[in-house]
Amino acid sequence: MPSPDRPDRPAPPSPPAPPPSPPALPPSGAAVRYRARHRTRYDYGEDVPVSHHLVHLATRSHPRQRCRRSLLTVTPTPAVRWDFSDYFGNPVSYVAVQEPHGWLEVASEIEVEVRPPPPFAAAGTPPWGELRLLAPALAGADEATAIGQFVFDSTLIRTTADLADYARPSFVRDRPIAEALIDLNRRINTDFAFDPTATTVATPLAEVLAKRRGVCQDFAHLAIGCLRALGLPARYVSGYLRTLPPPGRPRLVGADVSHAWLSAWCGGDHWLDLCPTNGRLVDADFITIAWGRDFDDVSPVRGVIFGGANQKLLVQVDVEVIDE
Amino acid sequence: MPSEHEAGCELPYDRSVSPYDEMVTGQGRMRPHWKQFLSSLGPIYPDQMIERWEGARRLLRQNGVTYNIYGDPQGIERPWPLDLIPLLITGDEWRQIETGVMQRAQLLNALLADLYGPQTLIRSGRLPASLIYADPSFRRPCHGVSVPGGQYLHFYSVDLARGDDGRWWVLGDRTNTPSGAGYALENRSVVSQVLSETYRYCQVERLNPFFVAFRESLSALAPGVDTPRVVLLTPGPYTETYFEHAYLARQLGITLVEGEDLAVRDRRVFLKTLSGLEPVNVILRRLDDDFCDPLELRADSSLGVAGLLQAVRAGTVVVANALGSGLMESMSCKSFLPTLCRHVLGEELRLPTLASWWCGQEAELAFVLDRLDHLVIKGANRDVVLDPIFGPKLAAAEKDTLRRRLRQRPWDYVGQEQITLSTAPVWQGRGLQAHHVVLRVFAAAVGSGYAVMPGGLTRVAPEPGRLVVSMHSGGGSKDTWVLPSERHHQIVSFRATGARGDPRPVEPKTGEAKPMVGDLPSRVADGLFWLGRYAERCDGAVRLLRGTSTRLIEGDVPGASDELAALLRLLVWNGMIPAELGSADASTREILPALRAAIFDPDHPTSLRANVQRVYRAAHSVRDRLSRDMWRVIIQIDRESRPHQSAPEGVAVLEPLDELVTSLSALFGLEQESMTRGPGWRFLTTGRRLERASRMVSMMRGLRVTEVLWSEDNRQAATLEVMLELAESFMTYRSRYFAAVQRGPVLQLLLVEPDNPRSLSFQLALLRDRLAELADGAKLGTPTHNPMANALRIVETGLTALGQPDLVRNPMLLRTTLDTLAATLPEVSNLLAHAFFSHAFARSA
Repeated sequence: MPSPDRPDRPAPPSPPAPPPSPPALPPSGAAVRYRARHRTRYDYGEDVPVSHHLVHLATRSHPRQRCRRSLLTVTPTPAVRWDFSDYFGNPVSYVAVQEPHGWLEVASEIEVEVRPPPPFAAAGTPPWGELRLLAPALAGADEATAIGQFVFDSTLIRTTADLADYARPSFVRDRPIAEALIDLNRRINTDFAFDPTATTVATPLAEVLAKRRGVCQDFAHLAIGCLRALGLPARYVSGYLRTLPPPGRPRLVGADVSHAWLSAWCGGDHWLDLCPTNGRLVDADFITIAWGRDFDDVSPVRGVIFGGANQKLLVQVDVEVIDE
Repeated sequence: MPSEHEAGCELPYDRSVSPYDEMVTGQGRMRPHWKQFLSSLGPIYPDQMIERWEGARRLLRQNGVTYNIYGDPQGIERPWPLDLIPLLITGDEWRQIETGVMQRAQLLNALLADLYGPQTLIRSGRLPASLIYADPSFRRPCHGVSVPGGQYLHFYSVDLARGDDGRWWVLGDRTNTPSGAGYALENRSVVSQVLSETYRYCQVERLNPFFVAFRESLSALAPGVDTPRVVLLTPGPYTETYFEHAYLARQLGITLVEGEDLAVRDRRVFLKTLSGLEPVNVILRRLDDDFCDPLELRADSSLGVAGLLQAVRAGTVVVANALGSGLMESMSCKSFLPTLCRHVLGEELRLPTLASWWCGQEAELAFVLDRLDHLVIKGANRDVVLDPIFGPKLAAAEKDTLRRRLRQRPWDYVGQEQITLSTAPVWQGRGLQAHHVVLRVFAAAVGSGYAVMPGGLTRVAPEPGRLVVSMHSGGGSKDTWVLPSERHHQIVSFRATGARGDPRPVEPKTGEAKPMVGDLPSRVADGLFWLGRYAERCDGAVRLLRGTSTRLIEGDVPGASDELAALLRLLVWNGMIPAELGSADASTREILPALRAAIFDPDHPTSLRANVQRVYRAAHSVRDRLSRDMWRVIIQIDRESRPHQSAPEGVAVLEPLDELVTSLSALFGLEQESMTRGPGWRFLTTGRRLERASRMVSMMRGLRVTEVLWSEDNRQAATLEVMLELAESFMTYRSRYFAAVQRGPVLQLLLVEPDNPRSLSFQLALLRDRLAELADGAKLGTPTHNPMANALRIVETGLTALGQPDLVRNPMLLRTTLDTLAATLPEVSNLLAHAFFSHAFARSA
């Protein structure tokens, strides 16, 4: 069967709860253990009296992934820290520094175990046309929360006819969904150039499509937009890549920053994770942090400060394999 | 339909536009309750009606009732359009509306509580999940946030229209930030004054008790707090209904705040006041929910409060309506209401709702595609930007395009049955016309249920036959009168009712309501300070311009040319006219246009008009702090400072200047007489005194008194005359010295004399007192860095300098003193800003 990236039961509607205890890992595949360090530093240029941040850095567990340890350190020490769970079931922390400070550092350290997805036959997945427009009609609350909500427009992804047009060559009639997805993933990887200077967080999808360049976040949004334009649900996944590739394999693009890819629904409980930036399927080299409809839902650190001048931002990510 | 000539109505009235007219039946007979109304109105003569109409317009203008429309050529504010003839509703009919609105509010509240909570309605399949997921007004961060008592909807409004069958049908619900209740109250205030006899005779139900009850229920929202702080959160003066925000805040006796006035600390909301951060317990919001918190909702909102949702989650503040409540405005949910009402409340939905079909469902989409000819297509939620499309009006090709759109994104559209709106009489020109009307009714959560305001905001289409009824499209409004239930009331008590209609600040019933804390947000203090400064600046400008204009127009009065030269020099010094006009040889023909610009040109940075606009803006931003009379005077000042196109050149300049001197004095008088001596008044007065002091110093330096007054030419006398005139001290001088105008006494009077309310030392003494009071009220700064102490020191030093015995005799000493004051007084303003306002103006990055 295809990649069983089945999400946990999403946290809502139950009230915010501490992260659930890790589920037992399925027996197949060799787990890789990682230690990931993520440091975000803001220099405000002058003292700001207060800052509020929402942090999406603790790792959510899922059937292929188990979080063993998670530590969030904010400096200066925040007066308030409140951990809760967002609508998608991701752990979130609210931190507020309430005394004058000229810089802020958010450091996250996690230890996580990831298993590779079991091999599967793309040809055995259902024809994509059968899934099309099925999602909006999902009646059950849990299915709708887990699947249905990912077919509609979101803050940063508005579907257009152009997106559907771009996707269409991959989605030929009766093609199995996974084959179509793999083809679209490959095409984006070939057609688009990785270029960190070409876009910002605010660059609209239409511009990415026109310029044919961008970064991992743009490519994930693009692929999601293409799928939703065809009536297929897709999630945005934020996470990390292992910094040093396994022996004999090339170093992946985006290995020293936060990474992003997509998760596409293949019917039933099945989701397929794909990374258009590297043009490949997601495997044990990828660590999932959070998922949502787009970047806006799961932005690693989102903040509001008062004052500040010439703000500077530094982000470092380091992912190492431990006792493999 | 034939004309109507029944008792009381002597005017033709064509009621044929709609199958149902509010006043006249299909048989052409006057409805009984209208007969009663019209008979008490007496015979309607066009001239008398026009006069009454003018009266109403004047009241609205004086009260500054306005409605802002973005991008409107009329500028930021548009006068509120009110038709004098109220919409009449019988008591019996009203009871039906009332119970229907109560039920609907209860139902929508229950739906919100479920969708933002356990979502059982979705689990059980009674609502499709896609209904919320396809709708951007479902705010995911608000899900699972516990709301006290499950109360989401605290204030609710519903638009009703009467169908052919005579029943009132629901057109739409307002659950996010319902507007219009304040306008309804203001309409009542005006109509009950202009038609006072009729109003009393008809025994119209009062609106005031509704607002009293709402105020009490707001303060009851903060359990365990004896003196809850309730604020009204507005997006600010540029929003459409800002008038109403300020008006309601004043009526309810709560503090009007903008997002930047609030701050979240320790998951609690605080108000930034002069004395520091004060806790806020309840926020009545008029800001759309997605703008309320840039941290968790719209990141690009600069109008909200970062961390607000955290405070709501922590249960430390109640937001009314609860964040996320806008969801119930979406058209997509309307078709489910009859079934849900049976399921949730166990009763039938009382108010009929137009049949509608949300295209996000397969069968409904097919139905709508099939029946396009009979339906109106509307956006399913507020994010779908779409004017209603009337199916019957479409050409075949347009229908195909629409069908394609519907298939592309079905969940964005709703098909709805059309309704014919009823008509009501509207006074137009010299007669009555039947216009379509829509009635907005308001409900407030009180106790465990809802109270409905007995009345409402009736909106009127701009012309007969027009079916689009909105303030945006140029429609008007009416007061709504709910009549007593008994049709025959013989005893009419005139004494039982107030003479001025009901809107008065809402007084809580003693012993029942909790007192609320009033505060002065730092932003408001800043606004009042600048209001004082600009008003005083206008006063100075207007006197200078009047003095100049008089001499210029009257011409060859002896001594006038020297005085004119002095005045022109001062105008140049103040940057009001170009430097080359300050010389003696400039001709009247050259000066007059420059003078006109210095008065009327809004783009001239130092013109009178520009400063009046600054007064207006400052006043506007602190509107809830000003008395109604002060606001009237400000509107008058604004009007008087606009150029009169028709008047002859000389009159056109002098007359408005004379009027402005009077109005500006009236404003000053009201400040002194009608404002409580609280911190607000202190800031206003500080602004005034500081400006007046600076102006005196500036005038003396501009006139170069230390040279001119010690020279022996005829400029000396002219300059002294000008000084006395501009400082409005001529009478004082005459009464005191009985002598010709002389240097020593004039300088003494204008600089040193402590009893002359225009003298510099008088201003500085008052400034010192106010600053001391303000410093006392706020514990600010550190021993080493205390801005208020520094400001006080500057003023004290000035006072000491004015006390130097030789000051008015020694030009060198006078010159240094004036120069020092000119350099140090502006610093007072900065220090004040530093002490009180700077923390309030931090911007989010």
